[in-house]
Amino acid sequence: MIPSTVPRPPAHVRRTQLFVGALAVAAVVLFVLALLTINWPTWARVQSGLTRNVAPLLNGLVRPDLKTFPLAWRSMWETFHMAVLGTLLGAVLAFPLSFLAAGNLLGGRPFAMPGKALLVGVRTFPEILLAIIFVAAAGPGPTAGIMAMGLHSIGFLGKIFSDVIEGIDAGPTEAIRAAGGGPIQVFLYAVVPQVLPEFASNVLYRFEINLRAAAVLGLVGAGGIGLPLLQRLQFRRWDEVSMLLLVIIAFVVTVDLISSRIRRRLV
Amino acid sequence: MPEPTPLGTPAPRAAGAPRPPLVARLRSYLGLGVVAALAVVAYQSTNFDLASLFTGAADFFSFFGRLAPDWSALRIIWRPLIETMQIAYVGTVLGTSIALPLIFLASANTALDPISMLVARVVLTILRSIPDLLWAALFVTLLAPGALPGIVALTFFTVGVLAKLGSETVESADPGPLEALRAAGAGRNRTIVYAVWPQVAATMTSFILYSFEINVRASVILGFVGAGGIGQLLYTRLNFFDYSGVGAIVAVTFVVVLAVDAVSVWARSKLI
Amino acid sequence: MSHIAFQDVEVTYPGGLKALKGVTLEIPRGQFVVIVGLSGAGKSTLIRTVNSLVVPSKGDVAIDGASVTTARGAALRRMRSDIGMIFQTFNLVKRSSVLRNVLAGRLGDVPAWRGVLGTFPAADLAFAHECLARVGIPEKAFVRADALSGGQQQRVGIARALAQKPSVMLADEPVASLDPPTSHAVMSDLKRIAREDGITTIVNLHFIDMAREYADRIVGMRDGLVVFDGTPAEATDRAFEDIYGRPIDEDEDLRGA
Ligand SMILES: Nc1ncnc2c1ncn2[C@@H]1O[C@H](COP(=O)(O)OP(=O)(O)OP(=O)(O)O)[C@@H](O)[C@H]1O
Ligand SMILES: [Mg+2]
Repeated sequence: MIPSTVPRPPAHVRRTQLFVGALAVAAVVLFVLALLTINWPTWARVQSGLTRNVAPLLNGLVRPDLKTFPLAWRSMWETFHMAVLGTLLGAVLAFPLSFLAAGNLLGGRPFAMPGKALLVGVRTFPEILLAIIFVAAAGPGPTAGIMAMGLHSIGFLGKIFSDVIEGIDAGPTEAIRAAGGGPIQVFLYAVVPQVLPEFASNVLYRFEINLRAAAVLGLVGAGGIGLPLLQRLQFRRWDEVSMLLLVIIAFVVTVDLISSRIRRRLV
Repeated sequence: MPEPTPLGTPAPRAAGAPRPPLVARLRSYLGLGVVAALAVVAYQSTNFDLASLFTGAADFFSFFGRLAPDWSALRIIWRPLIETMQIAYVGTVLGTSIALPLIFLASANTALDPISMLVARVVLTILRSIPDLLWAALFVTLLAPGALPGIVALTFFTVGVLAKLGSETVESADPGPLEALRAAGAGRNRTIVYAVWPQVAATMTSFILYSFEINVRASVILGFVGAGGIGQLLYTRLNFFDYSGVGAIVAVTFVVVLAVDAVSVWARSKLI
Repeated sequence: MSHIAFQDVEVTYPGGLKALKGVTLEIPRGQFVVIVGLSGAGKSTLIRTVNSLVVPSKGDVAIDGASVTTARGAALRRMRSDIGMIFQTFNLVKRSSVLRNVLAGRLGDVPAWRGVLGTFPAADLAFAHECLARVGIPEKAFVRADALSGGQQQRVGIARALAQKPSVMLADEPVASLDPPTSHAVMSDLKRIAREDGITTIVNLHFIDMAREYADRIVGMRDGLVVFDGTPAEATDRAFEDIYGRPIDEDEDLRGA
């Protein structure tokens, strides 16, 4: 076998290879550049942090403080309830908005534009930033967190809802119109049954996301398990941190399992 | 900053479905009942103040009025903004390189053996259940404040995000080519490289870009707990009630994040 | 000595279904064997015991006297790399180029990272091109596999198997997804290459006339047992009626010329 007999790839294949190769090189160069220019802490600083904390952390992780359990359990339930209300708030408000934003129902494209713009605007800010603002406006506590999550979820759910609505089958709509149904009948008997399972599934998905978000909103004083956790982190009470973490993980994993099971049956 | 667009729009349901049987309807009423009960319990336990929804919202918007940007703040914005992007990028790269081998370990069709598969799955499930800011708070305490804990936090977070998406993709790969390679005497590595990777590469790259989008938005707020980037500046400005400074930071960050998002979304659309 | 030896092979699938009930066959080197039988007779199961994709619950399959059935790990992989396999559904990586698909059969001892980067040894590349030339589609090397017709895809499947430089070739209904003229073209390619390289070949076929046309030897199976074993000349319509347990319809798709 003489290697020189190997045919060369055609030009367009080589161009693609070259392009992908260049991208890969650029990605690596960027990575190295970032590594070189990042403001790293001194090694001594990291080392002292590690030596002071790693052993106690591991110690705490294997021996979670049982006395912290009631607090952890209570705060996690509050977190859960915050996520429930935040998600519901978002879903209830996103529902009408999504019909406005969908291009195929109420009057068509030109009417959909403001709706879409509103949805994009509303999910522009991360919920933690919204939470800071709500804490400043309405005082600390779960209410601020719930409103932050609610507002943020409107954007997320509204976008998906309106995509679902735009994707519905026109057949049933026309069938009901042909049978003399008015817009209310069309809405109730053709649109809602088609979109409801998708809506419910996405609300559940958003709930999974919100539960995680709710667990950190306390870091800015917006209720839930985040605040007790942050305090114990700052005082390096690793055994108590460990208990709080365990409860968070167990709770989130359980909710994920149940939620994804329901979602699978919905769609 | 803007939420990344969800991956894939759900498929529309079959048209003209007949009215569901009684049991199914009862079940959906039951579901509604459960949700309603949950809402009531949650409402009471959190002392949620519905009225403040309106007063709060009013405050919220009046608050925005005070955010008129003071552009002189630009001078101090750009450095932490670059650091934000660095944290997001390095975290994504490191997270991806840890996630990929774990994904193949955790997928039934590419796993080494049942035990390591189970271990990988448990690890990934736990990683996935911890939110980004929590990772950051943890590593700030554990290491030192600054970009380093931010990077480590996003690395772990990325592994969690990628793992589930990735292993679902790997497990849904067409088994035919895998069998063909096994029949030809290929081991696990060769099967992954020649039969699995080509099938999932495009989707996987799209997921990596997607987690980069998530990480960029996360990196903006990491600074709230001391993990570097623009968030730290934002947090101090907020605490000093320097709202016009906050306005400038939010505006600039918003534009940059939107731009990164737009490029990434465009690249994703080219991939599939 | 026979090349492939089945010794009282039984296969029981999980669930208890007994797909092979004691098969003993000796296949000499270079023979082109066609296996026929009704759906569910155990043809695929039999062929898959040769490369241990299905492991017999009893009995043994040996190649050149070495047991495939008891081989494990690296030893099994080494034996498999000597056995090419062709599938009804081609089993190509659709998103990869034809050349890459062929190379995948070749690269037994090339490190995996070279596959990731796509830098293959020149000798392997040359050989992959040669294999494509032998199945008549050298010009398709850089085309994506899903851009080919069914017949061309099956030729890539054959080229991939050839790239292994196998001494045994297994083909499980290689033409069942193809139209009659393409079926014949693919079968004659397979037969010609087996002849030229002296490859021992086992093919499952559903079509009686094709079996008669290409086989050196026809093995008929029914219900997990070998019920016919003879030359094409001996495989009369009567014999086929025995194998199938019913009269053969005149209008059946026999894939005749
Ligand atoms: N993986 C499996 N698990 C359980 N039973 C199986 C499995 N594969 C095949 N069988 C059963 O074993 C029997 C023989 O199957 P086999 O695929 O060998 O038949 P075949 O002769 O190749 O049929 P066909 O012409 O339809 O391909 C059938 O009854 C089949 O249902
Ligand atoms: Mg079969």
